[in-house]
Amino acid sequence: MRQRRTWPVHAALTAVSAVMLLPFYWVLKTSISGENIFAYPPSIVPHGANPFYYIDVWYAIPFARYFANSVVVSAITIAANVVLNAMAGYALTQRFRGKKLVLLLFLSCMMIPFQATIIPAYLITGRLGLLDSYLGLSLPLFSTSICIFVYKASFDAVPRSLIDAARVDGLSQWTIIWRVMIPLARSATATNVILSFIWSWNNFMWPLIVTRSPDMQTLPLGLARFLSYQEDSTGALYAFCIMVLAPGLLLFLMAQKEFVQGLAAGATKG
Amino acid sequence: MSARSRTSRLRWLRNRFVIVPLLLAVVIGGWNVWVATHDHGIVTGRVIDADGTPVADANVRLWVFNFTTFVEKMAVTTDTEGRFRFTGNPSHNIQISADKAGVGRSERIAVRLYFAAEDRELAEPLRLDKPS
Repeated sequence: MRQRRTWPVHAALTAVSAVMLLPFYWVLKTSISGENIFAYPPSIVPHGANPFYYIDVWYAIPFARYFANSVVVSAITIAANVVLNAMAGYALTQRFRGKKLVLLLFLSCMMIPFQATIIPAYLITGRLGLLDSYLGLSLPLFSTSICIFVYKASFDAVPRSLIDAARVDGLSQWTIIWRVMIPLARSATATNVILSFIWSWNNFMWPLIVTRSPDMQTLPLGLARFLSYQEDSTGALYAFCIMVLAPGLLLFLMAQKEFVQGLAAGATKG
Repeated sequence: MSARSRTSRLRWLRNRFVIVPLLLAVVIGGWNVWVATHDHGIVTGRVIDADGTPVADANVRLWVFNFTTFVEKMAVTTDTEGRFRFTGNPSHNIQISADKAGVGRSERIAVRLYFAAEDRELAEPLRLDKPS
């Protein structure tokens, strides 16, 4: 059998990747050189590379505090997403009356933009006394329909006989989720972790509304604050962007295999 | 407990989700130790005249970046060998200038530090080659 030539595909993919990575490279290059982004002819190689824009950002605003706030809020969001979405996903794999209606309800929730729910979300958070707190900052992202469906798709792939066998052995529903289903749904868990992290990490609107004290602000708010008085320094601005991006990028690179598997499973089963 | 069972129990630690954060923690911890032992705010250097001779009793000023501009923070005079020493510099972004009546003044040079109050000895002396 004649083997297919793969190099044209690889060349095309490399070219597309280069085009997609170019803006990111440009941000990185500007963050270490501070070169004028509108300079002509543009220079691919950074001249006079130095880390001082990063140092300026670190000291210009309370970066460590904002970073810690973002980490705490993201950690709470991730933990809540894994626990609540796994429970919801498992419930949706069971047979019960009105299941189709519940599924439809979840699907319809995906069509409502977050902006439309901000006022009730704010009122509920206020009634719970969680305004200007870590819990309040992460509350609206505690569970998302997409991630519930990712878990549901993964749990649907587990043979029914395995769950029945666990029941016969006397395991409770709770134990079945954590001892049987979750270990078999690693890719779905990775997808949940990454998606909830990215959504929480990049969230701007909700922290803007719910925080009152500067000490509770997260990195996206810090970026906006930084922009307000450092608008003349492109290098420092781009350095800030890289510093905000880096944790998400690192998490994605570490878990990309499971993430892609989880998304692919979610896309093909339902 | 046998060595083999202990090794197999610790196997879960050998994955990228543990190793990468651990490496990062080590690097960050090391950097913080370095900063803690080198942040006395000491800035030292020399002042010479246009011929390269050390200048005694020259005024050396340290300017600190303050939100939008540099402001003078402290001043010292050089010793008989033209050496100066600032202590308690709080900033990471400073400028230093020197002058002496009858000899001249130097350029105000920018000194970028890797962290606030980093101890630094200037590699190049301040040269009083400009008219006062």
